[in-house]
Amino acid sequence: MIAPFALPFMARALAELGLLALVCGPVSALVFARRLSFVSDALTHTVFPGVVIGFVAGGLDGLFIGALIAAVLTAVVLTLLSRSGATSDDASTAVVLTAMFSVGVVLVSRRSSYTSDLTSFLFGRILTVTPRQIAETAVLVAVVLGLLAIGARALIFRAFDPAGAAAAGYRIGWLDLWLNVIVALVVVAAVRAVGTILVVALLIVPAAAARMITDRLATMAVLSTVLILAAGYAGLLASWIASVDYGIALTSASTVVLLLVLAYVSLIPIGVMRSRRARPALSPAAQRSPHELVG
Amino acid sequence: MNWWDDALYRAAAEAILAGGLAGIVGVQVVLRRLSYFTMALTHAAFPGVVAASLIGINIVAGGIVAGAVMALGVVALSRRRGQNAAAATGVMLSAGFALGAALVATQKGFSRDLSSFLVGSILTVSTPDLLITAVVLASVSAVLLACARPLMLTGFDPSGARAAGFSTATWDIVLLLAIEVVVVTIVPAVGTILAVALIVAPAAAARPWSARMPVITALAVVFAIASGLGGLYISNRWNVAAGASISLTAVAILLVSMTLSSVARRHPRTRPSVVITGMAGWNHGVVHSGAGADRARAADAGAG
Repeated sequence: MIAPFALPFMARALAELGLLALVCGPVSALVFARRLSFVSDALTHTVFPGVVIGFVAGGLDGLFIGALIAAVLTAVVLTLLSRSGATSDDASTAVVLTAMFSVGVVLVSRRSSYTSDLTSFLFGRILTVTPRQIAETAVLVAVVLGLLAIGARALIFRAFDPAGAAAAGYRIGWLDLWLNVIVALVVVAAVRAVGTILVVALLIVPAAAARMITDRLATMAVLSTVLILAAGYAGLLASWIASVDYGIALTSASTVVLLLVLAYVSLIPIGVMRSRRARPALSPAAQRSPHELVG
Repeated sequence: MNWWDDALYRAAAEAILAGGLAGIVGVQVVLRRLSYFTMALTHAAFPGVVAASLIGINIVAGGIVAGAVMALGVVALSRRRGQNAAAATGVMLSAGFALGAALVATQKGFSRDLSSFLVGSILTVSTPDLLITAVVLASVSAVLLACARPLMLTGFDPSGARAAGFSTATWDIVLLLAIEVVVVTIVPAVGTILAVALIVAPAAAARPWSARMPVITALAVVFAIASGLGGLYISNRWNVAAGASISLTAVAILLVSMTLSSVARRHPRTRPSVVITGMAGWNHGVVHSGAGADRARAADAGAG
């Protein structure tokens, strides 16, 4: 069970996932509480033009800076758009997402062959993570955990009682920007190593699964981290066994995501039992409709 | 040589058909705030498309089945207490895309198809693709036209609709499935990202100019077709990816429309001011423009 991780590249992949687990646990709990799934999905796409411009301007070193600038820019634009109220949150998020991604595609399509660049952006290359990338991730993880530790109380207050937080003197706009920047930094830390799909999954699925077991935010954060660690280890191991022993090409990133989703699905019965015990079934009028997919 | 053999003419025909489709459902997507759901659909249909092409059946059929599973899954998950709809959609999105990626990885040399799935390949659209798009356009507009009244009622006043005896869940599912069919139809031609741009941006651009559903829909269709044709022209002229230039054109139209409408609102003598913050603004408009009367009539019918 440990033998595959004696290989340097497997150990590095596991270390990268471990670092991401540390930070994605708490951040995914906040993303769940604030319903920022669409914003996190948008951020994973909008770093693409930054990656392209960074690569053209500064080669491999420019990638990281480019992604960082694009992500922070998106966080600012999304916060401003949702404050101004010109269009609804979700429509403006969708427009920013498609616009920035299209800019990236236009830039890339000027080059002769771009399909492999796009593919590696989507799926990442977790098995070829370099020590330098792990160091970059570690720095960003430290920064994000610091930002979270400073802002946690205010962010949680704003998530559950925006009017109360505003009355208590918190600046809601700055708090929203704070959280959007945190999500943006997580995306930048993760996207190059693990690809966009895995980042979205790490930011959304663990907290949704943990919510089935608990309704305490701190417990949710810890459970999410544990879940990511377990899925990361099992996913890497499964894809190793599948490709080495059975010759099936099973990509590690999608295996990790599918294991997380499996955990979510298998926790649904527990969630149903808990809500039954907590209070009788809600009246139809109080049930949610799917039409509140606010970004 | 037949003019139809020219790829550009076929692409233009597809842009017009896809623009029409995107415009008519886009209004529902924007007003009901379903953009994230639309985005998730484009990803969730992915494993269906891949599986269908592996088995060798029509990829649109495969996508429609996978998308329908996703739509019903979101409805089921978001009705759980404690699970918000956004998180449920995110879970379905991640699951669908990871499943599709895992299926793709088992095949060799698939990454080319994968990229065309993401950014579209409107210039290689075939005559059967065009036929499918035209059939879907006809049937979806027929469904939306026939169900216009209950859809409007359940969308803008769910509790009133429920009191009037409409089943909101049923009509939600009808609408979600209509959106799903449209998304799956236009994705192979125009790509996932462009599909979202073409559905959301023209409808959002049309929204400030009217509070009447038919007017907004007509405007959205016009904007979507204009983005399609304009984007094709730009792509042809400067040799950039067609899908991306179409979605950038759609965004440019949205920006121009928002600028013009905010100018128009600052000079109220040119046109009456319209509140444009989504549902709240819409409710405002509807009550004054006839749907309120419909609601009263429907409520009478329900009581009787």
